[in-house]
Amino acid sequence: MSENILVVGGGPAGLNAAVMLSELGVNVALVERDSFLGGNPKKFKYKFLFPDMQPADNVIGELIKKAEAGGGIKVYYSSEISDFKENGKKFDVTIKSADGSEKKTFDSVIVATGFEHFDPARDAKYSYQLFDDVIDIKDLERMMGENNFVRPSNGKPPKKVAFILCVGSRDRHVGNQYCSRVCCTVSVKQAIEMREHFPDCEAYIFYMDIRTYGFFEDLYWQAMEEHDVQIVKGRIAEITSGPDNTVICKGEDTLLRGPFEIPFDMVVLASGMEGGPQSPEISSKLGIELDEHGFLKPENITLSPFKSNKPGIFLAGACTGPKAISDSITEGAAAAMNAYTYAVKNR
Amino acid sequence: MALEKQEQRPAAEKGEHIIARHLIEDESIKEEKNLVIDGVDVSGRWNTFILSRVDSEFDRSFFREIKDTVVGSRINRCWQCGMCTASCTVTPLYRRFNPRAFIYMMQLGNLKELKKYIDVAWRCVGCYKCSQRCPKQVNPAEMMEALGLVIKKYFPEEVHSKLKADEDVKKIYDDMIIGHGRLDLAKLHTSAMQKTGRTKELLGKIERDAIFKMAKDGRAFSILRLGKPHNWSRSKVAIENYLKNLNTIENGEAGV
Repeated sequence: MSENILVVGGGPAGLNAAVMLSELGVNVALVERDSFLGGNPKKFKYKFLFPDMQPADNVIGELIKKAEAGGGIKVYYSSEISDFKENGKKFDVTIKSADGSEKKTFDSVIVATGFEHFDPARDAKYSYQLFDDVIDIKDLERMMGENNFVRPSNGKPPKKVAFILCVGSRDRHVGNQYCSRVCCTVSVKQAIEMREHFPDCEAYIFYMDIRTYGFFEDLYWQAMEEHDVQIVKGRIAEITSGPDNTVICKGEDTLLRGPFEIPFDMVVLASGMEGGPQSPEISSKLGIELDEHGFLKPENITLSPFKSNKPGIFLAGACTGPKAISDSITEGAAAAMNAYTYAVKNR
Repeated sequence: MALEKQEQRPAAEKGEHIIARHLIEDESIKEEKNLVIDGVDVSGRWNTFILSRVDSEFDRSFFREIKDTVVGSRINRCWQCGMCTASCTVTPLYRRFNPRAFIYMMQLGNLKELKKYIDVAWRCVGCYKCSQRCPKQVNPAEMMEALGLVIKKYFPEEVHSKLKADEDVKKIYDDMIIGHGRLDLAKLHTSAMQKTGRTKELLGKIERDAIFKMAKDGRAFSILRLGKPHNWSRSKVAIENYLKNLNTIENGEAGV
């Protein structure tokens, strides 16, 4: 008899975990809240992935294809866990979907509920949703994905675009003290993309620190050296509307020691990542710990970042903190291995 | 090397032949009228020396002093992102008023640099936009109060010579705060208009419209209803006593 393992969440981490487990011959139940697989990358139509600009479809599409083709994975679309009980070393779970409720017993559980993009409207100084030309990185990613890169206000291509980093991250004022890790790199990637496709559109990046960690630094060098992206040190404190249908960024150039108010055609906010409403929800349902940032808390952040505080429940991907897609996929595999070991041990 | 001073040479203007003269402050230039080194007369062009302009110390005792005050207790949080200056109401009017830079100077104990800003350091209007937006909750608006305390303490003479309290305004404020325990904005506005000689405008269209609007939505009546804070007379006595004692102490110290 083969093992039964439950995977919650069909994003990069959950998909990879499910695919690896099914290759081991495990019966996988994949619970996905949306009506499609692929998580946030699919939902917001990410087009290219850093650092090598490969199409997102190469990665996410491939995983979805494998998950749908491989036997042994049962996908529950638009579903959620309605009841969760421990049964010795196993877990009794009721999965509620459009087809009705189904009760099953699983040997182990992988939680890969992912993250939510920070909603910039919560930080009123950036005037998101007040002005059409203020968008955030996920909106720009979708625009790029739909080959529709124009100013939302008048449908014309912009000539001068500002990227603002650290929106909703590293900010006590909005309640998120952590760095969201990938928004710097994503913004730099988008600036490069923009300069490549629209060479007469200038790109400015307003930064406090540019945290393109590790080898992503190459991307940031490339943006400056090959694409003439200009970086300006200073956080933006206000976005107002300007003459000729522009948006004005008010800030301080901390290197020059002086305030500026500069009109732009379009402003892109590098909104960070948040645990979202799903993290506390799954935390209370499964009885696993939540950390002070609103993400799920691993048992030991260094030794076992993929284990929850409850034996038999494993964590993967951005549900434990902001993460790049590659890291999520790695953690999916790690969690799959651990969940499998646990299931075999307690057969 | 023997330095000998000679007299009777024509005096040149201080450092006039230094090419980037505007970058160097007067006190950094050392110049003798006439100078002989080892028997060689180096008067004129060669006797100008520029003292080192390198900062050679970070004064942490100063930082701790600020940290111990109530208003400056969060100075160690600041990471110099510039959100405060970017939000500032005053900076667009006085570019030299830069809360971020002031906080940095206070962190490093750079009194030499702070001294240059004595004339603008008091310009904070207390709108608290910076404190509301600061990502680290440093509370820059109150940090500007700490700055005022520091400047008053370390440069009393400069403060005295550069800043003069407006006695009329001070009296209006004192009367309001001590007498009523709250600011009366209408009175402030009227007295400001009187002081700037714009009494006529008080009955202008803007004012009339404002009064009409406030009467219409009821705000005017709520202002009338609001009296003094509860039991203010006791507070008033306490404040007056405190101020009296303060004056006695100050006068005592000054030997009056």
